[in-house]
Amino acid sequence: MTVETLVAAIFTIAIFSFLYKENPFYRAAEHILVGVSVGYYLVILVEETILSKVAKPLIYDRNLLVIIPAVLGLLMFARLSRNKGYIARIPLALLIGAGAGVSIPAMLWARVLKQMAASMLPLQTISGIIILVGVVSTLAYFYFSREQRGWFGYMAKTGTYFLMIFFGATFGYTVMSRVTLLIGRMEFLLYDFLGIIG
Amino acid sequence: MDLSRLDRRVIFVLMGLAVIIPILFNITTDVEITRDTLDIYNEIEDLESGEFVMISFDFEASSYPEMYPLALATLNHLFKKNLKVIGLALFSEGTAIGYTLLSEVAGRYGKQYGADYIYLGFRPQYVSAILGMGESIIKVFPEDYLKRPVEEYSEFSGLSGYDDLPLVVSIADGSMPIHWADYANARYQQKVAVACAAVMVTAFKPYFESGQLIGPAAGIKGAAEYEKLLKQRGIAHRRLFAQSTTHVFIIVMVIVANLAAFRGRRR
Repeated sequence: MTVETLVAAIFTIAIFSFLYKENPFYRAAEHILVGVSVGYYLVILVEETILSKVAKPLIYDRNLLVIIPAVLGLLMFARLSRNKGYIARIPLALLIGAGAGVSIPAMLWARVLKQMAASMLPLQTISGIIILVGVVSTLAYFYFSREQRGWFGYMAKTGTYFLMIFFGATFGYTVMSRVTLLIGRMEFLLYDFLGIIG
Repeated sequence: MDLSRLDRRVIFVLMGLAVIIPILFNITTDVEITRDTLDIYNEIEDLESGEFVMISFDFEASSYPEMYPLALATLNHLFKKNLKVIGLALFSEGTAIGYTLLSEVAGRYGKQYGADYIYLGFRPQYVSAILGMGESIIKVFPEDYLKRPVEEYSEFSGLSGYDDLPLVVSIADGSMPIHWADYANARYQQKVAVACAAVMVTAFKPYFESGQLIGPAAGIKGAAEYEKLLKQRGIAHRRLFAQSTTHVFIIVMVIVANLAAFRGRRR
């Protein structure tokens, strides 16, 4: 058995021990996981952003234009100061402006127009009818400018049934995903750690 | 017996047994192939040998048991078809996992790094990365994961943007495929196939129905279906029976708990 397998097994058992009750082993494993994840993320970010996107082009390629985004990035830290915090609004404004400019047309196309087109199927098919009823009734449920009574109330009620089917399907898929993670760890403990089956 | 007083740890033990027993007996089960998995399989199958395919490892270590069989099945297909594979990661945690997986499967098929596949590594700000690759992949990733200039690899030096990629495959445990749809598909009409964690299927479903994304091969069942299509029964088939027994156990528990609740209310 390798050291990695032993360490992984100890941490898996420590995390599983929470199922019995809260204990120091579980807490230690949880904190180490958070610490290691942050450390890993930090190293990757420093290497892939600060070193490769700022330091390298500036030092080796003499690309002075890099100074502009680097300074804007540094201005973000102005938020840490009580008096000069407003300076951070400059890079923030740029980020929000550019972000909105990039996202709005793409999302309008991908999340609104394409989805609307996909919802407008010919009504000769059962799927087309179900989609029409589902979309209209669910939208009715989320329409709060009119009291949900009478025919409108029935429509909104129908919408809740579609929502419940969605929640049920999502829950089923979630169970499937989480069970897979459990199976993965059990397999690891039985095969790699205990070596019960090869 | 009053079930509401049942110690929850009893349920945990039973759940553990529902998982462990099928694993110990190593029982595999058959699976029916769904249209979703067939779609992604056909999309790759229709590609010509030698064409470029980008595979994005958009998942983290926490979902590894579910994503590993999916990534394995997809990579097996890509290398079996002799496609030129370009790997990358849009989550920092997926960087090392992606490289390990790619090297592992490539090794089985005798593929050479730099000639048959490369791994570009990670870029922060996935929106900029996805959009930037539409103009030029090499501009976004001037160097690969091994810190060598991509232009040094003659097989990949001529890469421009998505025009050279008939397909992008996102292996994802989160919402990354939606960003691929928003930015690569909407802006550049790039075909994007998805192999994802089961938990994300309902969130992605509208995108598959509208044709913005292809697939999905979802969860361990999707991986088992893919293995069946490739005629390579593997890890997903082994895990599927344990999955089924656990599902049956959960269904039984839900019914029993509801019956107990009704009885309690009547009292």
